[in-house]
Amino acid sequence: MDITLTQGIILAVIAIIAGFDFWLEGLYIFRPMIVCTLTGMALGDTTLGVVAGGLTELAFAGLTPAGGTQPPNPILAGVMTVVLAHTTGSNPSTAIGLALPFSFLMQYIILFYYSIFSVFMQKADKYAEEADTKGFARITILPMVIVALTYGVVVFLSAYVAQEPMKDLVNAMPKWLSHGFEIAGGILPAVGFGLLMKVMLKGKYLPYLMIGFLAASFIKFGNLLPVAVIGAAAAIYQFYNDKEKAELEKRVAESGNVGGGYEDGI
Amino acid sequence: MASNATETRENQKVLTKRDITKLGLRSVLLQASFNYERMQAGGWLYAMLPFLKKIYKNDKKGLSEAMKDHLEFINTSPPLVPFLMGLILSLEESKEKRNTINGLKVALFGPLAGIGDAIFWFTILPIVAGITASFCKDGNILGPIIFFLVYLAIFLMRIFWAHTGYSLGVRAIAKIKDNSEVISKAASILGVTVIGGLIATYVHINVLASFKISPGHSISLQKDFFDHIFPNILPLGYTFLMYYFLKKKNVSPVILILVTFVMAIILSFLGVL
Repeated sequence: MDITLTQGIILAVIAIIAGFDFWLEGLYIFRPMIVCTLTGMALGDTTLGVVAGGLTELAFAGLTPAGGTQPPNPILAGVMTVVLAHTTGSNPSTAIGLALPFSFLMQYIILFYYSIFSVFMQKADKYAEEADTKGFARITILPMVIVALTYGVVVFLSAYVAQEPMKDLVNAMPKWLSHGFEIAGGILPAVGFGLLMKVMLKGKYLPYLMIGFLAASFIKFGNLLPVAVIGAAAAIYQFYNDKEKAELEKRVAESGNVGGGYEDGI
Repeated sequence: MASNATETRENQKVLTKRDITKLGLRSVLLQASFNYERMQAGGWLYAMLPFLKKIYKNDKKGLSEAMKDHLEFINTSPPLVPFLMGLILSLEESKEKRNTINGLKVALFGPLAGIGDAIFWFTILPIVAGITASFCKDGNILGPIIFFLVYLAIFLMRIFWAHTGYSLGVRAIAKIKDNSEVISKAASILGVTVIGGLIATYVHINVLASFKISPGHSISLQKDFFDHIFPNILPLGYTFLMYYFLKKKNVSPVILILVTFVMAIILSFLGVL
């Protein structure tokens, strides 16, 4: 069965809404479970949507964006699994495999956006400098809108206009390009940390930066909590030291005052 | 003098319960302008902006300082972030030292991210997906409905987290005020320690290149050289290089981003990284 223009448009709208949600990780309607069901409803085959939703959700349950890595895109996987099962009549579990190229395509686009949106931050810095809240709101919403519209366009093209050319596009994409996006994603936080250090790092705090770095390099643990505990230990130590020092200084100053008064007296 | 101080502190309470509830809902904007350089920084600030505006009212300079600080790198757990936002806003409201606010924020977001990922991605999602998917096998629409309701509940929990974080902060403030100088230094130490950890965990540079020294025998630059000198030496080196350019040479971050990006693509093409 073919996809009609109306269905193509409805799917694009679903993708835009789910795209917003995927970007923000708000309601989790971007998960294949929900996306497949909605796609099934749009195509008039809810049962197919639900069945595909269960299968695709399980296939994608292990692929999470936790820790900053970007998995194959669940929205495109969800929409295209149902669309392909519906149009080609293949069963949903086969369709998951057929939908993967579309899922990869969107993953690459998102990776590209993650890198390129870094450039918007300078504009945001400028608005922060001027305390221009309206300008700042605009520059912050812009990426979200670009992403959501991209979802609409990609899903409309993939589902309605040009399934085959889209697949060819993915296959034609050289491996080094997508790998390059991933590498950029691994290195770009260094710029963010450089900026953070510019604000917070002073020479006297350098030892703590080294301790934190060492701890995280050698304690293999999926969470920075141990490092934070070490930092807290250092902070508490410093806290009591400084308090004692302040008290001592106060006492010295008091006795000094008495002496001073005496000297003044002379 | 002392009574004056308490008076201003009383006056500083400008955020209402309603504001904190709104903060919980707005916290969903955390990733609005997500990018690799500063990750959630833009959305973090945008979610809190109306309340910062309320706190700083006509103090344009104060607002600008706060906005700049909240635009620094942050990456944490989206479902739990309202807790951190509530806590930080309570400190902003009582006009704590900027070092205290920055230090605490930086120290807390990393561990919170780890906890959130463990709870939401590695525990709740597999369980919910597993259970609801079993409904789906026969095309039972209850599967997606239950799935949606669970995540709706998690979303609404944001309001609770925002209030929890805010009231925790308010209770802590009295203690902070008495030792503000000492605390701001301690918070900086805590923050800087965690930045060291962030560099080791978030920046990834893995050299793929290797040299053939004889047929069937080659030396991998990463495994046999860099890892033998020190783990994560390249991420540390590159981060300090960025710091040097930003601080000493006043290079714009945009240049550094573009150079890094282009370099990554080229080195990927050459097979070095």
